[in-house]
Amino acid sequence: MTVRDNGRPSSSEVDGIAPGEGSASKSVDRPSFDDSAVSEEIEPVHDVPGGVDTATVDDHDAAVSVTGLKKRFGDGTAAITAVNDVSFEIETGSIVGLLGPNGAGKTTLIKSILGMVLPDGGTVRIRGIDVYDRPRDAYASVDAMLEGARNDYWRLTVQENLRYFATISGVDPDSVRERHERLLTQLGLAEKADVPVRELSRGMKQKVSLASVLAGGAEVVFLDEPTLGLDIESSRTLQRELRRLVEEEDLTVVLSSHDMDVVETVCDRVLIMSDGAVIADDTVDALLSGTDLHCIEITSSDLVASVVSTLENQFETITVEPRDRGSRIEVTTDSDGLYELLAHLRANDVTLERVRTIEPDLEDVFVDLTTLERRDE
Amino acid sequence: MVRQHGTGETPRPAGYYHLARAVLYREYLIFVRYPANAIGGIIISVFFFGVLFYGGQMVAGQALTDSIEGIIVGYFLWTLSVGAYSAISNDIASEVQWGTLERHVMTPFGFAPVALLKGVAKIVRTFITSTIILAVMIGITGTTLQLNLFTIAVVATLSIVSVLGLGLAAGGVTVLYKQIGNWLNLLQFGFIVLISAPAFDLGWMRFLPLAHGSALLQRAMVDGVRLWEFTLTDVGLLIGIAAGYLALGYVVFQYATRRARRLGVLGDY
Repeated sequence: MTVRDNGRPSSSEVDGIAPGEGSASKSVDRPSFDDSAVSEEIEPVHDVPGGVDTATVDDHDAAVSVTGLKKRFGDGTAAITAVNDVSFEIETGSIVGLLGPNGAGKTTLIKSILGMVLPDGGTVRIRGIDVYDRPRDAYASVDAMLEGARNDYWRLTVQENLRYFATISGVDPDSVRERHERLLTQLGLAEKADVPVRELSRGMKQKVSLASVLAGGAEVVFLDEPTLGLDIESSRTLQRELRRLVEEEDLTVVLSSHDMDVVETVCDRVLIMSDGAVIADDTVDALLSGTDLHCIEITSSDLVASVVSTLENQFETITVEPRDRGSRIEVTTDSDGLYELLAHLRANDVTLERVRTIEPDLEDVFVDLTTLERRDE
Repeated sequence: MVRQHGTGETPRPAGYYHLARAVLYREYLIFVRYPANAIGGIIISVFFFGVLFYGGQMVAGQALTDSIEGIIVGYFLWTLSVGAYSAISNDIASEVQWGTLERHVMTPFGFAPVALLKGVAKIVRTFITSTIILAVMIGITGTTLQLNLFTIAVVATLSIVSVLGLGLAAGGVTVLYKQIGNWLNLLQFGFIVLISAPAFDLGWMRFLPLAHGSALLQRAMVDGVRLWEFTLTDVGLLIGIAAGYLALGYVVFQYATRRARRLGVLGDY
């Protein structure tokens, strides 16, 4: 797992495990950024106070290149650092998930990349074009579906929205009719093409919003909570369609979501944010295999209230299900924690009636990393 | 940058013609598909004019009848102004709420041409409704006006372009301070003062939005003066005031949206 060094200890260091130890996947390669050749000096951000002095990122072929992005809101002691010196690259034709607890800075980061929020420092390039220097050129290849917004016109029909936003994004809508038809079919909107959006269900509206973002053939799209309000089937359809667009058309997607299943299923790579900083940046597989997390389920009639209470104080990620006699507990912890758990159970003479190990999922990794970050502060 | 989409299509870049067609067509669709707002506005405007006319007749009698042409022209210009101002300022506020403002800011055309075309669309729509109100007012009062359409269209359009600038500025302030929008709508009543400003015969007031245009429109519709019969100074001043306030409104809008982006409140409602 690649955990970012933001001047704070990484999760591995916190766990007392040196990089490279504990898991074979500590050295798993992720899409190259840190090791990339330094071939181009990016000018300080135009019109942005405190622009990066000597940012050195080779953004050859990168769909999105972010270097030293910073954003603070407010002044003095009340100031909040929403984006804290964030740098990363996203390769063309990939889906990158952006995860983080509420207030981690995901939306500010996305809006800063798009120029909707002006940063205090840093550079953003989309397809090699500086968003702050040449916004109109950069916007020719990017579109976004922002969180909590309609993103389209509810009084217009589905088809009219697609045509309108294709034009706004710089494409003659008559030249992309087939694309629109296919989008409508793929997203299950074909029969609703001539229905005003306001008459559609919430899930349908969400799909229209996505379709309108894709209508102009943007090469890079930012999707903030795209599956919010969708039923499982619609969510899966949308995920399939995103993957198809990425694989067949080299679409690049930056996807922010609280739905870990969506991120785990559809994303090639995940950035995890906490307090404005990127604390982990890796593929889903590497994050999962690189974690030192163990999820264990124990059932015992000896797990009485006093024992369970002590465990609840000791472990942050524990769920307890009382039984007629004893309890069933599920604990997610690292190796050290696992030893402590077993020692505690032995000390209390708890007979293990049933033990089951559960593979940690992305949600466990996410909770572990963000909890560690908070604990370090 | 336009690319192949794997459908066999070759997407073509959209030009300003396509942009204009899209923005105007959207306005047309909203107008014909949801006519209740427009019809409601017409009915309310006519109702208030009826109260003004019949109530005024009871109070002032012949004095009101003698000046009815001026009142009709002023009322016509006021409905045009209110329509243009509220359309553009409310439209911006709505776009903020809907999350579509960001998409217009993110267009490769730049926001300025989009805003300008939206303004044109609003003016066209406002002209349609105000013309209906004008016809009803003429019918109610039995008044005869000089209706040189070309002169009226040019003078009235240039007059309300300055109001469009105010609407843009108000929209910008609304982007920055979301809840202030309703208060800014009260500015519409200030237009009455501006429209009747020439009666005060104060030279400097001609530089205010609407005032000079109102004076010219009165002369055109009441006295039958044609556009080419105005002095170059009058026409130049009308154009200058329109361009000046539109530019000022755009600068305020740009400043406000830039400030909103700095504060991270663009689109947050």
